[in-house]
Amino acid sequence: MGGKKLRVVHFLNQFFGQIGSEEKATTGFVVKEGPVGPGLALQKELGDRGDIVATVICGDDYFSANLDKNAEEGLKLVASYQPDLFFAGPAFAGGRYGVACGAMCKAVSAELGIFVITGMYEENPGVDLYRKYAFICKAPNIARGMPEVLRNMVRLAFRLISGEKEMSILTRENLPKPEAYNYFSRNLLRNEYCEKTIAERAVEKLVAKLQGKPFESEVIPPIFERVMPPAPIKDLSKCEIALVSDGGLVPKGNPGRLATRSNLKWGAYDIEALFREYEVTHAGYFNDHVLERPDRLVPFDVMRDLVKEGIVGKLHRTFFSTSGNCTVSKRCGEMGEEMGAEIKKRETIAAAILTST
Amino acid sequence: MEGEEIQMRLEIESIDIKDLQAGSKTHVKKGVLEINLKELEELILRDPRIKSVEIGLVRPGDKVRILNIMDVIQPRCKIDKPDADFPGFIGKMQIAGSGRTRSLRGVAILVSYPCTNRKEVGLLDMSGPVAEMSPYGKMKNVSIAPMIAAGIGERDFENAVKIAGLKTAIYLARGAEGHPVDEVEVYDLDIPNLDRTSGLPRVACYYQIYTPQFDYLAVSDPCFYGTDVRHMTPTVLHPNEVLDGGVVGWNAVKALDTYSIQNHGVIKELYRHHGKDLIFAGVVGLAANTEPTARVRSACMAAKLVKDVLGADGVVLVKVTGGMPHIDLAIAGEECEKLGVKTAIFTQPLTPFGTLSDTILFNAPSLNLIITSSATFERTKIPWKAEKFLGGTAKTKVFCPDPIEQYAGDPIIDIEEYLLPGVLDCTGNAKVIIKEY
Repeated sequence: MGGKKLRVVHFLNQFFGQIGSEEKATTGFVVKEGPVGPGLALQKELGDRGDIVATVICGDDYFSANLDKNAEEGLKLVASYQPDLFFAGPAFAGGRYGVACGAMCKAVSAELGIFVITGMYEENPGVDLYRKYAFICKAPNIARGMPEVLRNMVRLAFRLISGEKEMSILTRENLPKPEAYNYFSRNLLRNEYCEKTIAERAVEKLVAKLQGKPFESEVIPPIFERVMPPAPIKDLSKCEIALVSDGGLVPKGNPGRLATRSNLKWGAYDIEALFREYEVTHAGYFNDHVLERPDRLVPFDVMRDLVKEGIVGKLHRTFFSTSGNCTVSKRCGEMGEEMGAEIKKRETIAAAILTST
Repeated sequence: MEGEEIQMRLEIESIDIKDLQAGSKTHVKKGVLEINLKELEELILRDPRIKSVEIGLVRPGDKVRILNIMDVIQPRCKIDKPDADFPGFIGKMQIAGSGRTRSLRGVAILVSYPCTNRKEVGLLDMSGPVAEMSPYGKMKNVSIAPMIAAGIGERDFENAVKIAGLKTAIYLARGAEGHPVDEVEVYDLDIPNLDRTSGLPRVACYYQIYTPQFDYLAVSDPCFYGTDVRHMTPTVLHPNEVLDGGVVGWNAVKALDTYSIQNHGVIKELYRHHGKDLIFAGVVGLAANTEPTARVRSACMAAKLVKDVLGADGVVLVKVTGGMPHIDLAIAGEECEKLGVKTAIFTQPLTPFGTLSDTILFNAPSLNLIITSSATFERTKIPWKAEKFLGGTAKTKVFCPDPIEQYAGDPIIDIEEYLLPGVLDCTGNAKVIIKEY
């Protein structure tokens, strides 16, 4: 390490930024050169490896009134100091403050591509909103724990900056263990080496279960919501129907760049044109039968017949397509909502038929 | 009938191979396997579907990348039974799993099919990160890469390659005749006469041998006594049938290969516990299903075999690669729990995003013991350059699920771990757990 000193920017709210307490919560952005308040302790932890070149301060109410716009404004101030590292808070249990720290971290990380570190109490709403985007160190619910939290935030920052590969995970990324650095996991899953084989753990735990002893599942199963079917359509002959599928049928060349696995995108394609030139982008089933006749996946032929026979009013000309293979259910739900919004926006569509593989 | 004849007692006599080299005679001397490559080539070329074969000997530390891997096989041969190696594939049909078997340790056969048009195929490096991750990267290996003869269909050729790999396994193990044995493992389970006085719980293994969802050119791979299992109803197996050549790998490495099946993780672990804190009651083998009706039928029949035929109190449900097999596994698990059989069920999260809980594909409160059997589709970047390629060339395409093109000679490849043989293992041998980061 050694080398050049790290340029550090720190974000604080009006209270820790020493502007004032609740009555000053509407204060807009203020920038002070050098460390302020907890920044002094942070500077001490950084030692001679980094300098807090600026502290960006914003009132809790001001920030939370318009998160996106203010994160954007704060980002500009942070960026003007060309930092190598960004800290926010810690926010402890402060809800508005936690959300502001998270929003700042997200914006700075996305735009500047530097490591962003904050600290929060586990029940702070900022944890679930921003854990994906920031390294959020665990903090108690009161500010008395400040020195320990700052020490841990700096320890994590130096570990990240070192670029060290994490050898306990198969991918060997620069991804410190959440337990070792006391931060909230960031919604990532990794294969990790462990002492016991999969088979050893399975048999040992099953024996405990059979003996009536406590046993620990490696996954706590989720509780799924129940989706109620909507009321049936009264008169199909007056109805325009759209076709939707997650079988990966896309125009030749895959213009929407859908992935064959863990895909996060969907596309809307003219169904006539698609059926003339198509391919399948889906690695979860063998595509032979669909490539031979895509109607097997998307019932274009049957729908056309039904329209001709007057049973169905009209077939919507756009086909909504995604590749549903190993995509996490949350994202599938989001894509469904996005497609639903688009379908609603078109106003004429009364129903959709979803086909899968 | 002689009692001995039908006893399911298997003795695996292991010989540790310390090195291998080409030589004039195939034999093992002081742990060194010498191979007559000409003789091996002739053996493989006896199959008219194969035009030629590239044979390579590789050791840990070699800057070699082996491509287009279809299977990995441990050299094994039967010692006391004629025509009994890999029955249905090589030997005549008979039940595998009894008698004496010679097994070579520290050496594997890497079977490649360079002419394949499959996209998702195996890759192994003999040094660098992949070699460090995979047990096969720490072994001395024989790479064979048969080339297709004119006029042979691709599926037919795949079967020829599979047979070539199994023949090589038998040929090498036979060559070790006369060499001192390093260890004898005994797998002796008399299922009809299992102990019922000890009060120990009886535990079975539900074993997904195959899933037809990836069927290449819409044909299932033969992996069970010479045939495929696509339409097989759940079947009671003696665990030794699995360990001793009744079941082999698919025509593609998918966190599963013949070597791992010959050393099936859960079966061996249940044997280790047998008589101590459980009684190993047997195996129910089956395939996952692509149709809901077939899936429920299979689940009900499997649960019945586990409970009412094997008389099990508990079952480990072992999952094959893929998303869909989770559903077969979960429905079977629920049926078992309904019958009072306690379950431990495998899961293989399909995405690196979210929490572990987000990745579960079933909604079954009774399945309260879930084991993470590795994230098979985890992507990893391999910054390593080979100096030599076997089973392909530097220009061989390496599969990535994103729409990008990459080649075996690139300075970095981005690959899913289930395509790196030995790194992950559906049978449970890998020392891998999934954690939230």
